[in-house]
Amino acid sequence: MTANADARAGESATERQDAGRREVFQYAVRRFGVYLFTLWAAITVAFFIFRLVPGDPMNILLGNLTRAEGRQRDAEAQEAIIAHYRQIFGMDEPLPAQYINYLRKAILGGLDLGPSFVEYPAQTKDLVFRRMPWTIGIFTTSVLLAWIVGTGLGALIGWLQRSRLSQLAVVISTLLQITPVYLVALGLIIYVGYTWRLLPAGGPYARHLQPEWTWEFISSLLTHAILPMLSNMIVIGAGFTLGMRALMISVLGEDYLTFARAKGLSPFTVLKDYAFRNALIPQVTALAIIVGATLNGTFIIEVLFQLPGLGTLFVQAMGLRDFNTMQAVVLFSIFAVLTLTLIVDLALPLLDPRIRRTA
Amino acid sequence: MAALLEIRGLSAGLQGRRSVTQVVSNVDLDVQSGEILGVVGESGCGKSTLATAIMRLLTPPQVLQSGTMTMNLKDGSAYELLRLSPRALRELRWRHLSYIPQGSMNSLNPVLRVGRQMTDTLIQHGLSQAEAHERSVAALQLVNLEPRLLESYPHELSGGMRQRVIIAAAVSMRPALIVADELTTALDVVTQRQILQELTNIRDELGATIILITHDMGVVAQIADRVAVMYAGKIAELGAVNGIFEAPLHPYSQGLIGSIPRESGQRIVGLPGEAPSPWNYPTGCRFHPRCPKVFDPCSEYEPGLRTQGSGRWAACHLYDAEVVSDA
Ligand SMILES: Nc1ncnc2c1ncn2[C@@H]1O[C@H](COP(=O)(O)OP(=O)(O)OP(=O)(O)O)[C@@H](O)[C@H]1O
Ligand code: SF4
Ligand SMILES: [Mg+2]
Repeated sequence: MTANADARAGESATERQDAGRREVFQYAVRRFGVYLFTLWAAITVAFFIFRLVPGDPMNILLGNLTRAEGRQRDAEAQEAIIAHYRQIFGMDEPLPAQYINYLRKAILGGLDLGPSFVEYPAQTKDLVFRRMPWTIGIFTTSVLLAWIVGTGLGALIGWLQRSRLSQLAVVISTLLQITPVYLVALGLIIYVGYTWRLLPAGGPYARHLQPEWTWEFISSLLTHAILPMLSNMIVIGAGFTLGMRALMISVLGEDYLTFARAKGLSPFTVLKDYAFRNALIPQVTALAIIVGATLNGTFIIEVLFQLPGLGTLFVQAMGLRDFNTMQAVVLFSIFAVLTLTLIVDLALPLLDPRIRRTA
Repeated sequence: MAALLEIRGLSAGLQGRRSVTQVVSNVDLDVQSGEILGVVGESGCGKSTLATAIMRLLTPPQVLQSGTMTMNLKDGSAYELLRLSPRALRELRWRHLSYIPQGSMNSLNPVLRVGRQMTDTLIQHGLSQAEAHERSVAALQLVNLEPRLLESYPHELSGGMRQRVIIAAAVSMRPALIVADELTTALDVVTQRQILQELTNIRDELGATIILITHDMGVVAQIADRVAVMYAGKIAELGAVNGIFEAPLHPYSQGLIGSIPRESGQRIVGLPGEAPSPWNYPTGCRFHPRCPKVFDPCSEYEPGLRTQGSGRWAACHLYDAEVVSDA
């Protein structure tokens, strides 16, 4: 009788596995749908919001032109110039038509995001592609490094929660976490960069160098990257540390941890296979959330450290009301953030066999 | 022959800001080799604290206050449990001393496969991968589970299956002593009966000794040889199951046994009042506020656990010759 009951129980275990796989697949599809929708929504909001900012790009353009040429044109010539540019930038049509055109060109025209004002007649797309490596380089590297260091450190101070050193680490991390990123960046620029002159604190690389594959250039590039990345890492890393510590402490109270100890496993195995592994799953989700929340901090860092990334491009574009460039920056940053988040979310079922998303 | 486990004067409590609140007080207990010893008592009387103290798994704020525990194995070796180094303790665990914790449902790591969780400890105790696998399969068979469950994740198993996996894991190294805390509490009656039957078989086949902690007198009646009745952190009565069920000496045991649902499903006599918590254990006999037979000395003097002949022990002034004659 018992044997029968267990045969049935065994079957239901396989069924549960199948159902689990199906659900994971549905989850992936649903997740991808959400991804596309968010992308569209973001670009739409950006399109309309930027056009609500006071200031007509044409007037700003004209003013710059006048100053550059040092002479005033007559009203008729001004009108002609404005009409010319309006047409080039597709701004001679009503807003809804502009919006449709924009989407059509972006999607069907191979990411044609229009020309830029900032560096007219350069294409916005090319501008963004040229600047993007800086932002992606600094942002991705610093967030990933912060995550790795923060996760390790957080796991350690969570595991040793009752030690003095652990408690001190919590206080320090909390202070760092609530400090705005620009204060950390300014502090590093002022002290490490100028007062102590330990590391360069401005520009992408030494002024006298040209980008090329030489050791001199690469080392200059790397030393210039340290402080900007450190600014980001300190603040984000402190957050990751505190998050992981909290996760560890809650996992340490779980019944399966007591059981693991009761089995006579070595403390290292208990830490690695039972505590860390389980705390890691929500910590990966935290990475996805933080990625979105910290990109703006990276933009500020670029401006403060005078790096030619998307952040500085955005500030320049903002000054000229260069809608095309502003939209492109938003589009690409949202794209980058959403893609990273998507990857993390899709990787979760691999880490966590329990993942079940119900519609 | 010496008892498998000799517990003497064991006290454990909860560390407060200034003082320690005693939860388990001065427990003396001999666990005989090969027996199933039931430990019963109401919720909160300190059963799990006693079990975790035996396992040396107390975690802050729980603290061990005093006592000794000696484990005498068949091969003649003896271990002083409270003196073992962490390394020696790890060696001893699972090989000689296993634990089935209360809330076993959650005792498996949800992100590791069952097989990994059964074999990892065997491998750390010196078995090869293949031996560990073989042992795990054999252990699963003892609780009527199929070997392929080793490939499952805990959430793919039902509650009863998870409980069986825990039991299988606990017996996989054929330990001398198994401490099982509320083994069947969360299960339906049928599964409960099956699992208790499997546990009895394990005892018979492996010659293991089992401390079975429960608040269910029915479970004790079904499989235990002897029973220790606990009240407010102390042992109130100890003896063979038959003897205690037929003629309980301690008024608390009388109340407990009276409250077992008979076949009609009704409670004959209930236990009035509430069990005290460690922060307000009464003075004298801790049972005196609820005791129907309370008399003069009860609120002042604490009764000791005294032998009543034929392996029976009780901690009650009614059975304390001196006190009774004085009163
Ligand atoms: N870690 C802890 N923190 C606070 N109180 C605790 C802790 N462990 C035990 N206690 C208290 O000690 C007393 C005894 O608890 P214990 O778990 O040993 O009882 P039990 O007999 O196993 O009860 P149950 O039948 O409910 O499992 C209870 O009053 C409980 O509240
Ligand atoms: S000692 Fe007194 S109060 Fe305690 S159980 Fe015996 S009779 Fe009751
Ligand atoms: Mg308990």
